[in-house]
Amino acid sequence: MTDDKDVLRDVWFGRIPTCFTLYQDEITEREAEPYYLLLPRISYLTLVTDKVKKHFQKVMRQEEVSEIWFEYEGTPLKWHYPIGLLFDLHASNTALPWSITVHFKNFPEKDLLHCHSKDVIEAHFMACIKEADALKHKSQVINEMQKKDHKQLWMGLQNDKFEQFWAINRKLMEYPPEDNGFRYIPFRIYQATTERPFIQKLFRPIASGGQLHTLGDLLKDVCPSAIAPEDGEQKTQVMIHGIEPMLETPIQWLSEHMSYPDNFLHISIIPRPTD
Amino acid sequence: WRSPRSSPRRAARGVAGATAGRTGAGPAAGPPSGRGRQRRVAEQPEEPAGDAKKKVMEARASVDVLLKAVGDTPIMRTKKWASFLKLMGLRFIYVNQSFAPSPDQEVGTLYECFGSDGKLVLHYCKTQAWG
Repeated sequence: MTDDKDVLRDVWFGRIPTCFTLYQDEITEREAEPYYLLLPRISYLTLVTDKVKKHFQKVMRQEEVSEIWFEYEGTPLKWHYPIGLLFDLHASNTALPWSITVHFKNFPEKDLLHCHSKDVIEAHFMACIKEADALKHKSQVINEMQKKDHKQLWMGLQNDKFEQFWAINRKLMEYPPEDNGFRYIPFRIYQATTERPFIQKLFRPIASGGQLHTLGDLLKDVCPSAIAPEDGEQKTQVMIHGIEPMLETPIQWLSEHMSYPDNFLHISIIPRPTD
Repeated sequence: WRSPRSSPRRAARGVAGATAGRTGAGPAAGPPSGRGRQRRVAEQPEEPAGDAKKKVMEARASVDVLLKAVGDTPIMRTKKWASFLKLMGLRFIYVNQSFAPSPDQEVGTLYECFGSDGKLVLHYCKTQAWG
């Protein structure tokens, strides 16, 4: 049997091969070569693309450069969603490398948040962790931590240091033994086909009868359209970190092992490809 | 199995709350000051504001959002809002005095997860209050 800790490593070190191309209408002084990068699934676009920005700025005049933003097949990519979620939601089942278009003009104010510095990413990341802990432990664990522990979570993510991050994050994954799980599971369900940003509700990991709730139970309760009708055809895929976990998987286990560093389970519901 | 939290009544409220941003949600759903409100009052001069609020609660057309000023932030003229529109202009908003909600989180979702007694309490300020 594999150690469950291996799962944490596999999630942490998940990478997406990506090809960045400059948008055709951007004005350059010489030809802009595409730029290839392995993107960490658990990180944020604006946190790991300094090299991409430098690469394209080299061929552009200074006055043509303003805030960088990214797009995939016409969809502006939200930097405040983890990279793995963006890929699962918008680009699953397409050929690799993931082809992202880079823009420096016409920032889509309506769709994207500005990200002028890494402090903005840090603030967003910490707010997510705090919200997750409010659901899991009524904020008790995160509030008992010191400022330096909060910083260590962020630095662990920023510098891709698994041990550094998990030394602190494991405390956020604990619960009193008599409870058998968190108070509520921090999850968000995204659907490629709807306008709503995501579904988030209160959901307990343990049923009133004591049995463990599963991923299937969660979907049945908050997003029944994602589940195939009995004897019907499964028209959707339920993706976390690029895989389709079995619907029988206990949601508490998923929350502890497949959450992103922001402590949320980000679940994508996408149409199943027809082939 | 259904959790007691997701009974149809609550669910209906949550969904309605998600659209609370639309000013047409109900008589009390607009901002409590400004032209929109005055026009509405002119249309229904006989209806006191309290009744309007009650009516909205009965119809479950919106979520009550209670805003509290933090530190030296000027206190808004009225603390009760049924609309989230004006909130967007504020710099820092906190739920449960601890975390800032996600930028694209719907008010209905916040209410479902962190509201109580029919109210969602949000603290606001001009500078960062809680790390």
